[in-house]
Amino acid sequence: MCIRTVQQLNKRKTQLLAGEKKFPRKVIVCCGPGCLACGAQKIADGLRESLKKKKIKGFTVETVRETGCHGLCEKGPLVVVEPDGLFYTKVKPKDIDEIVSKTLARNEIIDRLLFTEPATGKTKKKYSSINFYRHQNRVALRNLGHIRPDSLDDYIAGGGYQGLARALLKMSPDQVIETVSKSGLRGRGGGGFPAGRKWRTCANVESDTRYVLCNGDEGDPGAFMDRAIMEGDPHSVLEGMLIAAYAVGSTEGYIYVREEYPLAVERLYEAIRQLEEEGLLGDNILGTDFSFRISIARGAGAFVCGESSALMKSVAGEVGEPRAKYVRSVIKGLWDKPSVLNNVESYANVPVIIMKGAGWFKKIGTDGSSGTKAFSLVGKVRNTGLIEVPMGITLREIIYDIGDGIIDDRPFKAIQTGGPSGGCLPESKLDLPVDFDTLTKAGSMMGSGGMIVMDDKTCMVDVAKYFLEFLVKESCGKCVPCREGLYQLHALAVKISDGKAVEADLDRMEQLSDVIIRGSLCGLGKSGPNPFLSTIRYFRDEYLAHIRDKRCPAGVCKNLITYEINDKCTGCLACIPACAYEAITGKKDEIHILDQKKCTQCGACYAVCRFDAIDVT
Amino acid sequence: MDKRFVVTPNLCTGCRTCELACAFSHSVNGKPGLSRIYPLSAGTDEAWVPVVCLQCENAACVKACLVDAIARNPETGALELDYDRCVRCMACVAACPFGCSLPDDQHSLVVKCDLCGGEPVCAMFCPTKALAHQEICSSDRKSA
Amino acid sequence: MVNLTVNGKLVQADEGEMLLSVIRRLKIDIPSTCHHDAVEPYGACRLCTVEITKTEWNGWKNYVTACLYPAEEGLIISTHAPEVIELRKTLLDLYLARSPGAALIREMAAEYGITATSFQKVPDGDNCILCALCTRVCDAMGFHAISSVNRGHGKEIAPPLKEPPPDCVGCLSCAQVCPTDFIQYKDKGKTRTIWGKKFKLLTCKDTGRPTITVEFAEHLSRQRNIPADYFEHDHESHRRQLALTLGKLAEWDRKE
Repeated sequence: MCIRTVQQLNKRKTQLLAGEKKFPRKVIVCCGPGCLACGAQKIADGLRESLKKKKIKGFTVETVRETGCHGLCEKGPLVVVEPDGLFYTKVKPKDIDEIVSKTLARNEIIDRLLFTEPATGKTKKKYSSINFYRHQNRVALRNLGHIRPDSLDDYIAGGGYQGLARALLKMSPDQVIETVSKSGLRGRGGGGFPAGRKWRTCANVESDTRYVLCNGDEGDPGAFMDRAIMEGDPHSVLEGMLIAAYAVGSTEGYIYVREEYPLAVERLYEAIRQLEEEGLLGDNILGTDFSFRISIARGAGAFVCGESSALMKSVAGEVGEPRAKYVRSVIKGLWDKPSVLNNVESYANVPVIIMKGAGWFKKIGTDGSSGTKAFSLVGKVRNTGLIEVPMGITLREIIYDIGDGIIDDRPFKAIQTGGPSGGCLPESKLDLPVDFDTLTKAGSMMGSGGMIVMDDKTCMVDVAKYFLEFLVKESCGKCVPCREGLYQLHALAVKISDGKAVEADLDRMEQLSDVIIRGSLCGLGKSGPNPFLSTIRYFRDEYLAHIRDKRCPAGVCKNLITYEINDKCTGCLACIPACAYEAITGKKDEIHILDQKKCTQCGACYAVCRFDAIDVT
Repeated sequence: MDKRFVVTPNLCTGCRTCELACAFSHSVNGKPGLSRIYPLSAGTDEAWVPVVCLQCENAACVKACLVDAIARNPETGALELDYDRCVRCMACVAACPFGCSLPDDQHSLVVKCDLCGGEPVCAMFCPTKALAHQEICSSDRKSA
Repeated sequence: MVNLTVNGKLVQADEGEMLLSVIRRLKIDIPSTCHHDAVEPYGACRLCTVEITKTEWNGWKNYVTACLYPAEEGLIISTHAPEVIELRKTLLDLYLARSPGAALIREMAAEYGITATSFQKVPDGDNCILCALCTRVCDAMGFHAISSVNRGHGKEIAPPLKEPPPDCVGCLSCAQVCPTDFIQYKDKGKTRTIWGKKFKLLTCKDTGRPTITVEFAEHLSRQRNIPADYFEHDHESHRRQLALTLGKLAEWDRKE
């Protein structure tokens, strides 16, 4: 059965919706990366198994649905009963029978599986009433947690490919570009370049061939937005690419996705296969002259291959190194042909913009940055997970409302945004609206959407050191300022963290940063010193404490801290086996003794002590 | 204008003035370079002949060069070697059937006759006119 | 043709001509390690960075590598602006930390007043400055025998799997273009060794002197239609034969 016309598409949608009426209630099991890792597949299989054995009214095996990421990864695996919105967290296989016999059979709520709001201690039955979800506005992530990722039917039933149909049949390519331009959609991969302008430039270049590329090379540590979309709703990306291809006049597209995302690769292959089977990819799509094909290019996971020119080289099978862009890749890109490259999340937004109009999208967010943005909220925040918020929301709202504040109510210290080449913002910047321009002005950047929350136990020198080390390893190694400069910048950060630096080293680092920014070939190098620059900008005192006082205020830098046992020690013996270096001795019920000569400051004793008896100074 | 080297071996005395002139006109860092021309014995003790690049029409050196470093200068007709392009793979040296691409080991270069930009000094200085650079007519079979 | 200003001097250049070529034509000395005319500009060493501006940019300046920036109408270029000098000094300083033994780097650094690095010495540094001239030239010649492997600070140049490269013909171009003479090879008798691969050298039938490798000659015959017998003699032998031929012609001439 093929979908060759809009009528057929609509007919399929009607049939599917009618079919779904048989299942008014569903049990949804989140199978995003986080929940899967915590055993979500076992929950889904277990629910089916249980429903096979017991006859429950309204629930059959078909009503158990695995979906993409629901967002609240912290509390996974998640189980939702729809349409009620009943929300169970941290579900274990042993809970399955109880869920089936109580909740599904008798509508009884199992209190212990409900979400408890940390601030108030109140339990919440429905996920729509949880702060984490209440403040969100899901556009790019609209289908995540609702549809089965491997089902084209689910996507179509939910209004999928209607955007493509409208673009192909009711709009000229020019009107599509105009709509995207007017919507103010800016590149979600971090650059923030207006998508409409990019498409317009590409469409205007004289060429027989144009390429539409999708950047799925998400490489920031702690970021998983694009992964969640590719794994949870691959068709939204493909539909966005199809619309882009129609707009710029392309017949061939590539999705560049890293091999480290095996499920994303699998889902995309499957989605492409489904589309080819249905005729939604190939020649004369929906009965028009428009033909388009998509291939997948699998990357080996180099961070630099997320950079446009390196990505194109990698797709072409060459070494993934950026090239100088005196000719932009939108004019001369893949195989020297004009190429539009957008990020996964950008494409996922496009079908909605076409369906709901530029004005609708523009109303969300701020003047300069319209729409929403997905973030992966991680670090020392209570609710870690995948979120999508309107642009212009403040960092404070994200951390304290959606994230429910810092773990253990420790003081907030900094939030790292924009991935390794982004920056750290302190408490004083928490009320800044989150949009492309404000974050850049504050010395960080939007980036692709990683957000790492840090508390007072985080050392900013250590953070800078960590991200610099990442960049030293992930630099492509082509140009000298990035390859050698970042190496030396990292070496100087290590020197500070080791307590061996002098104040002149800070000047040296600032001067070197300047050269790296001015001299590097690509964006990775030019933003490479950011981990240092943004931390020195807001946390200079902490650097100086390391240099002048040889002290790490956060108690992290090993060379500058000592562990001591205080008189709260109950002599429980727990720390003695924990110490791999045999530095702690003592008898039961007597205060233990720590031998400083043997101590390597590994922190194992601190981690196991339940009596707060280890001091870090 | 089609100017060619005209070699008249019977006039060559093997005085090597051509070689000297060439070395000085192709100096490297102010010192004489490797001469692109030198007289060789033409078979007997008395007979000499100056051997120099013939700037072939379908030249083996051009074909052998994988980085396109040898190209004809349309004004002089010389096949000129671009030193900045040459990667010294020695393909032209090995391929020239007349041995006229020469390795200059001292300066790590490959050299060949470039007709001195149109007025070859070797011909200019040849005392016996055994070597001349002049317009030719097709019947002159001594031309090379 | 476009008009631009280099260090205050008005010059003309072809549109699209790279600035480095314009600057070198003016005999202005700016350093660069990764540029070679046989290959496309690469922009890795960043030493040829210059400051550019235009009157209409209202004082805004940009720093670009001359090898990769095409000439544009009205461009004002400064090849030795203080910021540029500082950039080059720092780059050479960084180079010295990694490759203190490379003569080229030492000379360039000395010209900018640097004799020793102020940075931490790179523990596993060597004389390879990763300009990638070797791999790019190898690619340009159509062999693709070697490539850069790994990335970041651990990047190096190597044949596939660090085994003798199957596609190498032993032409030595990589070693010849290496600006720091880092690529080692050995010619001993009729054998050449490079990248761990052994080659047999052709020898002249008359003089017995070695010329190029068997593989390279075969490649040239096959790909470039050069008769195989051209490679039977070395250049001196070829010359002598030409002299003898001309001598014979002259003899006939005398007899006529």
